[in-house]
Amino acid sequence: MATADMLLMNPLAPAAPELATETPPVEVGLVRAALEGDRDGFGRLYSLYAPLVHGILLARVPRTEVDDLVQDIFLHAFRKLHTLRDSAAFGPWIAMIARNRAVDFHRRSRATVEITDELRGSDKQQSKAAEILGLIRSLPDAYRETLVLRLVEGMTGPEIAERTGLTAASVRVNLHRGMKLLREKLGTTEGL
Amino acid sequence: MNDDYLWDKSGDPDPQIQQLEEILGSLRYQPQPLRYEPNALKHRRNYFPLLAIAATVVVALLTGGLWLQLRTEEASIPAVAIAQPTTPRINPAFDSPINSPLSAPSYSPKKHKPVLVNREERQEALAAKQQLLFALRLASEKLNTAYRRTQTPSQIKNQHKAG
Repeated sequence: MATADMLLMNPLAPAAPELATETPPVEVGLVRAALEGDRDGFGRLYSLYAPLVHGILLARVPRTEVDDLVQDIFLHAFRKLHTLRDSAAFGPWIAMIARNRAVDFHRRSRATVEITDELRGSDKQQSKAAEILGLIRSLPDAYRETLVLRLVEGMTGPEIAERTGLTAASVRVNLHRGMKLLREKLGTTEGL
Repeated sequence: MNDDYLWDKSGDPDPQIQQLEEILGSLRYQPQPLRYEPNALKHRRNYFPLLAIAATVVVALLTGGLWLQLRTEEASIPAVAIAQPTTPRINPAFDSPINSPLSAPSYSPKKHKPVLVNREERQEALAAKQQLLFALRLASEKLNTAYRRTQTPSQIKNQHKAG
């Protein structure tokens, strides 16, 4: 745990170079193909990274906006792909675009009230999910993104580290600390 | 507390995490096809800055041309006026340079007819010139402002869907 505390000092630290080299080369080939105008290549990148972008946005913006923003972000990435210097860093690059877009969204949009599933009158599990998501969103930034990717998108810790460009140790600490805080919040509400 | 399940879904499953996964799984990303724009790869060219630059250049050229023309005309007036004292006074009846039939053709350095205006008319012409130059300067400034506004980073659409 001492190591975990030390790593928490910089939870958003970029991946170490030795980990960056572990990135599978599939992105490199797909980025190259997309740059040559191959839409199928970019389509594969979209399939690989859409859950990541979806999770990053879900941790930050209203759920009703997430799907449209995912589309916007990938279309923006498609147009700006030539500005990506390191093809292997497609994941961290698009993750950063998603985070920036979420910030832009809050900067530009007026104060809104999210229409929850309770208001929509949908099933109980959906409203429970929305309630828990609200608790996760109240956590610090580094924790909520990692927790959403793990609990909502079903990604494992190593997958999160690989796709986001964070170190595995940072992701592990974020998951541990975030889960601890979430358990506390769930305990103070009504529990599961 | 065993963190292995939280980390990579290995080891003994944590019941609470499993329950959270089950509930939150309903919010998971549902695969959707990427909706490309019709011309996603083609950069939409914005011709407005080029038009603004062209318009500015045209206005500047017109301004310069008018200014040169006015200046030329202005220069021709003193030529007549300067000619006055050197005009030989043959007859007192022809003392006025404006009315003199001899003075203008004899002493004008230009081939074209000199513009014969009195002081009031000249003042009016100068005032009109000043007004014209001011209007042209104003138009040029407005075009420059429009051009500067087009230089700001383009905004991505569909940002104001909330509300």
